[in-house]
Formats: sequence, C-alpha cells, structure tokens
Amino acid sequence: MDKPVRPDLQFAKEIIKAGGESLKKCYQCSTCTVVCNLSPEDKPFPRKEMLYAQWGLKEKLFKNPDIWLCHHCGDCTAYCPRGAKPGEVLGAVRKLMIKNYSPPSFLANWVADPKYLLLLFLFPILLFLGELFLLGYFTGTEIPRGEHGELAYSKFLPAVPWIDVPFMAAAGFAVICFYLGVKKYWLDLTDGMELKRKDIYNCIKETIIDILAHKKFQLCTFNKSRTTAHLLVLYAFIGLAITTGIAAFYEWGLRWESPYPQTNIVKIIGNVSGIALLIGMFYIIANRSKNAVKQGIGSYFDWLLITIILGVGITGFMAELLRLADAGTLAYASYVAHLVFVFTLFTYAPHSKMAHMVYRATAMVFAKAAVREESIRKQEAA
Amino acid sequence: MHHNGSPTRILVIGGGFSGLTAGIEAAETGAEVIIVEKNPYLGGRVAQLNKYFPKICPPLCGLEINFRRIKVNPQIKFYTMAQVESITGGPGEYNVRIKINPRYVNENCTACNACAEVCPKERESDFNFGLNKTKAIYLPFEQAFPLRYVLDRNSCPQDCPAPCVEACKYNAIDLNMQAETIEEKVDSIVVATGWKPYDASKIDNLGFGKVKNVITNMMLERLASKNGPTGGEILRPSDGKPVEKVAFVQCAGSRDENHLPFCSYICCLASLKHTLYIKEQNPDAEVFIYYIDIRTPGRYEKFFNQVKEQAGVNLVKGKVAAIEQDSESDDVIITVEDMLNMKKIKQKVDMVVLATGMQPEGSEFKVPGLKYAVDGFVVDAEGVYSAGCAKNPMDVAGCGKDSTGAALKAIQIGVRR
Repeated sequence: MDKPVRPDLQFAKEIIKAGGESLKKCYQCSTCTVVCNLSPEDKPFPRKEMLYAQWGLKEKLFKNPDIWLCHHCGDCTAYCPRGAKPGEVLGAVRKLMIKNYSPPSFLANWVADPKYLLLLFLFPILLFLGELFLLGYFTGTEIPRGEHGELAYSKFLPAVPWIDVPFMAAAGFAVICFYLGVKKYWLDLTDGMELKRKDIYNCIKETIIDILAHKKFQLCTFNKSRTTAHLLVLYAFIGLAITTGIAAFYEWGLRWESPYPQTNIVKIIGNVSGIALLIGMFYIIANRSKNAVKQGIGSYFDWLLITIILGVGITGFMAELLRLADAGTLAYASYVAHLVFVFTLFTYAPHSKMAHMVYRATAMVFAKAAVREESIRKQEAA
Repeated sequence: MHHNGSPTRILVIGGGFSGLTAGIEAAETGAEVIIVEKNPYLGGRVAQLNKYFPKICPPLCGLEINFRRIKVNPQIKFYTMAQVESITGGPGEYNVRIKINPRYVNENCTACNACAEVCPKERESDFNFGLNKTKAIYLPFEQAFPLRYVLDRNSCPQDCPAPCVEACKYNAIDLNMQAETIEEKVDSIVVATGWKPYDASKIDNLGFGKVKNVITNMMLERLASKNGPTGGEILRPSDGKPVEKVAFVQCAGSRDENHLPFCSYICCLASLKHTLYIKEQNPDAEVFIYYIDIRTPGRYEKFFNQVKEQAGVNLVKGKVAAIEQDSESDDVIITVEDMLNMKKIKQKVDMVVLATGMQPEGSEFKVPGLKYAVDGFVVDAEGVYSAGCAKNPMDVAGCGKDSTGAALKAIQIGVRR
C-alpha cells in the first residue's frame, strides 16, 4: 500500500501567495491535461500538479520535470471550466522551485518579493555611482573624451577595471549559483531511478535543438503568437551575446576601444539584436495584455523580468542615440542606467524568472533521458 | 376565489410539463387559467423524451392524462404559438399582452395529412433537432396536442402553399391568418418557461457540428423514440449504422464557467438512462461514460448502481476535452485523462453523445416585466412564481411538485384580494 499522504498546507499557501490564487478552484476534471499538447500520455500534467499543489506536496511538484515541461501556453487556463488557471499555478510553483534550488535563498526571496525591489536596484546603482565617485566625476574631474573629441563610453568608464571586473564577478556569481542549483535539481530528478537513455550528451544536443527551434512552443494553440515573440527575444539574446563576444575580441584581442563605427559588424549585429529584443518584448507584453482574461496577466515575478529586459533594451538604445547626439550628461546617465539593468539581469539570473532557461533546459534533458515524451515526439512529427 | 366571489385568474407562461401541472392544479381548485405556449403544441421538452424518470416509461401517457384534464376543464384556456409581450400592474391586477402568431391552419384540421402529401417544400424538424425533415406543413409529432397541422411560412412563402390549400377537403388552411394581440387581466403569474439544450456547437473542443456522429443527449432521446426519425432504432446519423460502441461525455457545457456555470442536475441520470436504451437494443454494445463526478441525487443512487453493474458499461473518471474524426471512417475519437490510472487515452467509438445541460429559456428570451438572475433563471416576486426548470434545473418529478407549489402561491394572491 502507498504511504499515507501528508498534506503541507503551509506550502499550498505559499503557492497561493506566489501567484497561484486560483489554485483551490480546481475540481479535478482534467480538461487541462487533455487540451495541453505538451503533456505526455503517461502521468500527464497539469491536472496532477493541481492536486499536488492543493495538498502542498512540495516534493512531488519539485521532483518531477513536468512543472518545467509546461511552457505556459495557457491552453489549460483558456479551457479551464473553473477559472483555476493551471498555467498560472504552475508558474507560481516554478517560482518557488527556483527559490528552493538556487542558492543563496535570501536572494531568491528578495527577487520574488516586491518589497525588496528598490534594494535589488540599489545595489548596482550604488556600485556604479561609487565607480563614478572614485573616478572623481562628482568632484570636478572632467570626463575624458575620445581621440577626436567624441563622446566615448570607453573613456568615461574604461573597461578595465570599471566594467569588466563587476560584470565578470556578476557572471561568475550567476554561473556558480546555477551550477549548484542544477546539480541539486538533477540529483532530485534522478533520485531512485535509472535513466533509460545513457547518451546524456545526445539528450543535451537534442534539447538545444528543441529550444532553438522552439518546437514545444509551436504545440501551443490558444496563444500561438507567443512562439514568435519568445523566439525573437531568444535570438535577440543570442545576437547580443555574439555582440559582446566580438566587442571583447576587439577590446582584448585587437586592443581596439569603442566607439565603433555604425557600419562595423559589431554595431550591426548589436543594433539588429537590440531591435529584435524590443519588438519581441513588445509582443510579449501585448500578448499578455490581450490574453489577460483567459490566460492570466502573470505575476510580479514575470513582470520583474519583463521590466529588466525591457530596461536593458531601452537604456541601451538611449545610450547609443544620446552618444551619437553628443548629449553629454544625459548620455552618460543613460549609459549608467544601462549598466545597472544589465548588471541586474546577470546577477539575479539564477533567482529571477531568467532562471527558467536553465531549469527548463535541465528538465527537458531529463525528460529525454527518461524517455518521458515519446507521445509528444509523435505529435511534433505530425 | 376572490372575496367578491369571482374566480382567481392565473396566467401560466409555458405549456410544458411544469406549466401544464401548475395550470391544471390551479384550475381544478376553481381558478381561471390561461396557458401561453410558444410552440405549436403543448408538452414541451417532456414530449421529446423517449422515456422519463422515475419509472423509465414513455412520457406520452403522462402527458395525455394532462391533456385530458385540460380538455374536460372549461376553466383552462390555452394559446399555442403565443408569447407574452408585456406585463404591467402588480399582484392581483396584472395586465398582460399576448401575441398569438398565425398557424395558418384552423380548427377544421383533421390531421389527415393530405396537405403534407402534396406540399412541395421541406424544413428541418426542430422537434427532432434537425435529424430529419418534415414538409413545410406538418404535424409537430404524432400525438401532438392540439392535434392540428401547422404551416411554416418561412419555408413555404408566397404562393408556395397553394397545392396544400387545394388538397385540404376541410378548408382548414387559411393563408390570410394574421398575428393577433390579446389582453388579459390576471391576479398572478406562474412562469414555467423551461429550458433548452445548451448549444453544443459553442463548446468548440467537443466537435459538435464539425465531427460526424457527435450528437447531444436530447438528439439521442429522439433517435430512441418510436415516433422519432429512425422509428426508435439507435442508428448513428452519418451512415445509419447501429451503434456498438458509444461514448458519453458528461458535463458537456455544464459546471463550466465558459458555458453553463451550474450543474444541470439531470445529465448524469440521462446518460445512465441512455445506456439502458442502447443495451436494450444491443446487449453486446459497449458504453463508456466519461465523468467528473457521477451525480445521481437522493434515491437515484440505486438507479446508478443498477446501470453500473451491467456488462459493457465502463465508467471512466475524466472529462473528455478533445473530439476528432477518425481519419479512415465515420468513427469518432475522444481524448480524456483516465484519472484513476493517470493515462491520457484515446478511445474510438461509433458515436459520441454529449451530455449537454439545461439552459433556461430566460438566458436569451426574457419575458418583459419579469426579473431574471444572471444565468437567465427566473427570480420570484410577489405575484410572480417560477415553476420547474425556469427556476432551477430539475427532473420531471421535481418539476411536478414545484409546479403544484407555484400554483398554490398563485392561488393565494387571488384569495387575499
């Protein structure tokens, strides 16, 4: 006989607080599971997750990959006869999952709670203002300009040490947090079971291909337009990563400092990616607003990430345009704001919704290794 | 009866089982009753049933008893093809305007069918939910009361009915009939406007109207009825094949805030009853009932247990949320999570029956002057009493009791004056 189930009502309350307010409306009809095209035939989701969530069964929720196999299409929420919004509930569970796995947990608490919003931003703001102070810009030192007297951010804040040190620290911190989080998650997922597939590297490769093609997203029906929006943002990030790589190569390899001419490849890729990012984010916001009634508008957690990414894009363009316009203080202010947003994005990635890319990818690799999604693969092929 | 000796006058809106019961019960205590029915016949939804609860017997015997009580009671006046246009005044002194639409067939009609034989046009049978056609001049159903044909001028406009007029030996067809409006003064009103089957095509994931052989529970009543489109044989619509595997989809639109937010009370019982229809015709047939919860209130639990025990009756916990056509046949494939086994399964069947619920008529058509709740159910007021499914989804037996109660409330208004 199965062990008796011990409900953890405290955890159920946490889910409710995290954005799963509608949780208790579920009456277990399983419409959600049937209309979800991402849900496999064996032990499908999200009906069982709604039950686990109502009972506060934390382990059941966290130790199965399904909360991440859900891509929040919203088909379940659109068809739910009770307004229980399974999509939103699973979103709330994912938020708590991130908190559970990404160390240090106090940081996850800060990111998840609007109370600490100012504190989150205050840290990078103070950091960069401190740099400006050290450079003496607040005490009369004139901001140096480029060779031809143009406004140059590389003179304003030289990459070494003022940019590279804090950003490498932030990135390093994020990587360590992610490593610890993913390791713990993987151990939990594989606890007491033997993976059916041993070729884990193939599983990783297949997962990357799935993500790059957004195969899962394409199975959504109610909110199809989200695929395009999210894909645009993904490729924008890849483009911006390439931009950063090229810029680093110029800086470190060629010893060639910015600003680069607008026609240079690094500027072209950067600008195109930036525009893609803004368009993608605009679509994401428009979709969320349009589908708010049937799908839910999303939680603070979602909107924090949206705000940060949008902030990165907008301040990035402002800094560029104001630099070209030689707008002095305004340009420098935009640049500092841009640094603050990018720093926020990096530092809090393991604890914000940004962590979804790592944990969802982990769950997808696990699902492949455990051969969890055979029925979905057939559907994709069709 | 009023203190001055004149009889209490009661308007009954709706001539289905509830309206008839309320009207007859009141009339048999001496009240004067006017029944207004929008269909060309009395008996409402019950007349469309093959068999009804609690005895699982054909409803026509029950209805015929009521029709006889009307025929022998001079206190009851009824109008068919009529609708209440307005209600003014208050308890004890309502003024009611009633519009009576033309039937184009007068009381000379003997229901000899000579007109229909020559009628050039056809129309979809609304009584049979479009499962077959009738001529443009038709008798709603064999045992209809009043037993009189009706001409659908929309299907047969202008000179089209000329051959029928000629064929009628009794001068019963009168194309000059006009709509007329009459006024009545009444003391109180019983609202028994009943229900209609929820429009299944609104439930877009259940395929009704798009996938062949997906029908509603009320359509199955017609298929199983001796006076129905198939003479009582349960044959699937697309190719007339006798059904061997049937899936019932419970809560098709009921308990669903996107459709009907309430439980329609009767659908679980109806599907269990339909299982008996199918097993009676083909004992080897396999029936699947997909449910969220089987709701068989009170003593109906016994009925549930009886049906459940039969061989070939499969109860599966899980709501069907996708229905598609089989790619190679007219069969239908349903998808459901078999919750107790945690498996998302597909099941191929000959025919799917959607257990659609009861939508109160008041959801779309509201009688001017009456109060309605959000869902379209009637809200009672002093002098205005709802009866049966206009108030709440209920079974026929419940409607009978509720209507008798409403009749008493209506009578009291007259007595108090």
